[in-house]
Amino acid sequence: MLSSPLGRITISSDAIAHIVGETARECYGIVGMAARGPVGKLLAKRERLTQGIEITRDDGDGVTIDLHVVVEYGLNLAEVASTVRNRVSYEVGRLTGLPVRAVEVHIDDVRRTG
Amino acid sequence: MTLNGDLAALQKVVAAGLAALEASRRRIDDLNVYPVPDGDTGTNLTMTVRALAEAVEETSAASRRSLARDVARGALMGARGNSGVILSQIVRGAADVLGEATAPAIEAAETARALRGAADAAYRAVRRPVEGTMLSVIRELAEEAEARAASRPPLGELLVELVRRGEAAVARTPEQLQVLRDAGVVDAGGAGLLELVRGVAAGVTGEPLPEAPPADEHLAVDAIHQELSRYRYCTVFVIEGEGLDGDALEAKLDGLGDSLLVVGDDRALKVHVHTDDPGAALSLGTLAGTIDRIEIANMHEQTHRREERLLAAVPDTAAARAATGVVAVVAGDGNRSLFERLAANIGPVRVVEGGQTMNPSTADLLAAVQALDAEEAVILPNNSNVLLAAEHAAANADRPVEVVAADSIPGGLAAMVAFDGARSAAENAAEMREAMRGVVTGEVTTASRDVQLNGLAIRAGEWLGLAEGQPVAGGGSFDEVATAVIERLLAEPRELLTLLVGDDPPPLDALLERVAAAHPEIDVDVQHGGQPHYQLLLSAE
Repeated sequence: MLSSPLGRITISSDAIAHIVGETARECYGIVGMAARGPVGKLLAKRERLTQGIEITRDDGDGVTIDLHVVVEYGLNLAEVASTVRNRVSYEVGRLTGLPVRAVEVHIDDVRRTG
Repeated sequence: MTLNGDLAALQKVVAAGLAALEASRRRIDDLNVYPVPDGDTGTNLTMTVRALAEAVEETSAASRRSLARDVARGALMGARGNSGVILSQIVRGAADVLGEATAPAIEAAETARALRGAADAAYRAVRRPVEGTMLSVIRELAEEAEARAASRPPLGELLVELVRRGEAAVARTPEQLQVLRDAGVVDAGGAGLLELVRGVAAGVTGEPLPEAPPADEHLAVDAIHQELSRYRYCTVFVIEGEGLDGDALEAKLDGLGDSLLVVGDDRALKVHVHTDDPGAALSLGTLAGTIDRIEIANMHEQTHRREERLLAAVPDTAAARAATGVVAVVAGDGNRSLFERLAANIGPVRVVEGGQTMNPSTADLLAAVQALDAEEAVILPNNSNVLLAAEHAAANADRPVEVVAADSIPGGLAAMVAFDGARSAAENAAEMREAMRGVVTGEVTTASRDVQLNGLAIRAGEWLGLAEGQPVAGGGSFDEVATAVIERLLAEPRELLTLLVGDDPPPLDALLERVAAAHPEIDVDVQHGGQPHYQLLLSAE
């Protein structure tokens, strides 16, 4: 929650997850988001945009983001993960103004496309 | 196929490409505003090509194919940053083609095929390719090479044309990508790729490396506005006066914002700060001297359109009335929240509390259907005891209603996966029934009275396990009974086992260990369901 002279602003975890999903899809090397069980699939229904994304908030409004991703075979996984982390942290911080405490990138699978 | 002169030729062009990139490294760093404005694209590309150069110096490859493999591996291992990863994929795509080339020397035709392989490989590794980046530049290079290869130009001539096309492609990147246009820069990764090609061309033709664009090329002042900042106004001004103290001013300005820069001498200072209160910064300036050339830019405005695009992806809670909503009969706080959390994502959902022992009435279901903000409805009874009431409610509702005869909560959740509020009830019902067919469900409960089961007597209070509605095991051990149910559910190949744990759950550790040992290939997802009577609801898909 952010406070301003005119009132409080709340940003839902769902909104954050959508920003993360939109950003992750543009990240180079990411060819998919990993489904996290049937419940994860359920909650990711809308264009599967938030699939593989978990948002946790702490009392001070800090955001921790867990991403489960599938990376193209043959790429440097550490570099891809670090780019995703930077990019997601940057976009969420910039668009929501909330402090991003951590972005944990889990590479659940590696896939050879095409 | 042996190496012939390939290795020496490759070492020469990689060294030339590296030299060209090194010469432009700083300028490319300064161009970097996308995807994250951290000013390291030139450095990352240079480090990546350095690793590549080391790999071609150290290789002991004895054939073209193994040389190609070493090159691809060198780029992969040395890739640094986003641009480095893309470059490594470009190198790999090209190396894959060249490693298989049978021509005695690499000429225009092989180069065109290699660039096509590079472009295809580069695009393959991203879900949503962004135009106006390295990706569009490598694609245009491939197109140019393909168009020219038919007339079999000498390789050097082709490369000179590729540099020309690359320059045009890089110059066009601001038209393709808003964030570049806002910052008044070309794409850093694309510019780096162009320098690399420029160097390679020089290496092949034997020409001296052409002059790189000057490093201090004027950058639009907007470029700095892309720096990471929480603050709204980029504020720049000049202070003129006598005996100005830059350090003291810097200390005073420090609390106002970030990206603070105070440069100059005791007669003129230039101040740059990102702040929400430009007035306060200007006041501090006027205390020190005379202020001049004030520029205040609203950075939020500049990135506004891109933000709008990103935020457009956020579901609009005030969306138009949905075509179809769902009424689900659910017991347990955890299960309830699983169904309800869906409402925000996929369409209106109303949960009616109920289940095995507390059956909602036709009137309860009818009221829930009519309270849905949707033209049509699907009812998920999630229990065979509720099916009849659901059908009555459907027959008496004020709108078209379909009943999808889920007879368990896991079955209902499986059906929900196929639900889409934008489709009609009939279309949804068909999809949801299909989705349920892919799932088998089970339950573990306690027998409410003495029963006979396959010749086995189960006493009231003992565990009872059911699979697909049929009793399959009973007895005093929860683990034994639950294992029997799970074995039945996993009789056919499955990928995923979901456990919805009831409001009075027994310890699950031993059971989960058992499942993991017997079925290492199965993913197990344990969720708090909170339902009464059923200590476990299970599904496998």
